Amino acid sequence: MTMRVLVALLVTAATVGLAGCGGGGDAAPATTAAPAPVEIRISVAGGRPEGGIRRETVKQGERVALIVESDAAGLAHVHGYNHDLNLTPGVPARLEFVADVVGRFEVELHGDVEAQIADLSVIP
Amino acid sequence: MTPALLAHGIGGVRDLPVPEWMFSWGAAAVLVLSFLALGTLWRSPLLAARAPGRPLPGPFSRLLLGRTLRLAAQAVSAALLVLVFATALAGEPDPAANLAPTFVWVVFWLGLVPVTVLLGDAWRVLNPWRAAADLAVFLLERGGREARPVLAYPERLGRWPAAGALFCFAAFELAYREPSSPRALALAIALYSYVTWTGMAVYGREAWLRGGEAFSVYFGLLARISPLAVRDGKVVARLPLSGLAGPERTPGTLAFVAVMLGSVAFDGVSRSSSWVDLAARVEGPYVLERPGLAETLVTGLSLLGLVGGVGLVAGAYLTATAIARRTVNVAAPLADQFLLSLVPIALVYAVAHYFSLLVVQGQFALPLASDPFGRGWDLLGAADVQPNLNPLSPNTVWYVQVGALVGGHVAGLAVAHDRAITAFTERGPALRSQYAMLGLMVLYTVGGLWLLSRG
Repeated sequence: MTMRVLVALLVTAATVGLAGCGGGGDAAPATTAAPAPVEIRISVAGGRPEGGIRRETVKQGERVALIVESDAAGLAHVHGYNHDLNLTPGVPARLEFVADVVGRFEVELHGDVEAQIADLSVIP
Repeated sequence: MTPALLAHGIGGVRDLPVPEWMFSWGAAAVLVLSFLALGTLWRSPLLAARAPGRPLPGPFSRLLLGRTLRLAAQAVSAALLVLVFATALAGEPDPAANLAPTFVWVVFWLGLVPVTVLLGDAWRVLNPWRAAADLAVFLLERGGREARPVLAYPERLGRWPAAGALFCFAAFELAYREPSSPRALALAIALYSYVTWTGMAVYGREAWLRGGEAFSVYFGLLARISPLAVRDGKVVARLPLSGLAGPERTPGTLAFVAVMLGSVAFDGVSRSSSWVDLAARVEGPYVLERPGLAETLVTGLSLLGLVGGVGLVAGAYLTATAIARRTVNVAAPLADQFLLSLVPIALVYAVAHYFSLLVVQGQFALPLASDPFGRGWDLLGAADVQPNLNPLSPNTVWYVQVGALVGGHVAGLAVAHDRAITAFTERGPALRSQYAMLGLMVLYTVGGLWLLSRG
């Protein structure tokens, strides 16, 4: 029993330490500015998202505005939510939706090129 | 309708990664439980003696094992195979509007796992390929001809053909780019049916079901965990896990179990950001000019990853049993002795990775069954049922995932421990043989937890 307590203490210390170091946010949630949607802008060139696959985290219930500008026509699809965005070359296409389902969702290009462009995490 | 190509079987909602603190607690629990287990587990063999179980009351057995129920189950299952093949072949090509992908990847492949573990080897009765073969034999014999195998099944093949088939199934699910494409599924079903019926015709039904039919071997191994089994024509209730007592000497079993575990582990790896980025880098230069080449490269990379996952699982097991053999200083290799202790681990890997998919995507089975071909039918009046995409909170999912892995770890340790005290009559060697096994189990479990916590 004492060993369990010891390990639990050690682990608690470790996790507190980890949380302390690793907390710094890569996600930038739209703070208190109430109804403004979280904008996710992605440029697609040559069938690839510029700067690599975009990873964004939003909170459940937030509005998300996905803005995709592509150099080729096609379709961007938000899996799970099953939203589609028609892409016209050179014209930014915008899709707004409420992130009401929790989980991770792939945003993929469909058409001539099949590629993932974003990975959206919706947390409670 | 969008031609949504769902990677990894099917399903659009993925689990959020297990948070760091929960990973740490899970890993700590694994270590503590392991050392507690070493000191406190039972001292004389338990499982083998409990394996025969106690027969259930006669009428119960007669009903469950009766001809009527079996024929009805076989008819339904054969009809489902025909329906799913037809929808895959001729239904709407959009995976989300066609019954086949959800049926194959979720209802059958995931749904039968809890059924098997709780109620025993239902697949023996539900196997539609077997049902068709039974019918063929029945008709042959009625026609006055004898149905006998052409060749005797070579014993040294053991479960190797099934391991190969399961690997192909896993490669189709995890390496091929469009596993949910109904047409690809139709081709896979046709190929698998052809191989299965040929195998049965050549080697006989029972021999092929034992060694060649991947799903019979898969559900058969999982059913050994179950508290219910059939012995001498009776349904018996027994201690869960007791079916895993004893060494496992059938060739190819390690390969099979390694594919079970390794493929799920690779599924976890292949969803991580680093793997997705790696795949994108590999195909990046070719994606516009030579999409065919890009796809081949990514499929090849995934195949390598899958082989690597299976190889790591098998290699770790062989290393651990080799070390155990050295620590107890015995002549015979120990690889056969502890093999079945990996079955609970393989089960919980599947539970941790797929249970939320079963709960979420499983709900789509009803509306899809109402409109199986995606033609706007409403056979069951359920075509408009809107599934709840968040039936489980992330917290629930995480607790089930971590709880399953830790529970499977304890079950694996218990099975290995029971085997050790059976194989080594003295307590010293029995205990020493378990140091390496314990290390192996910690590796599998903490590795599994780590995979779940990757973003």
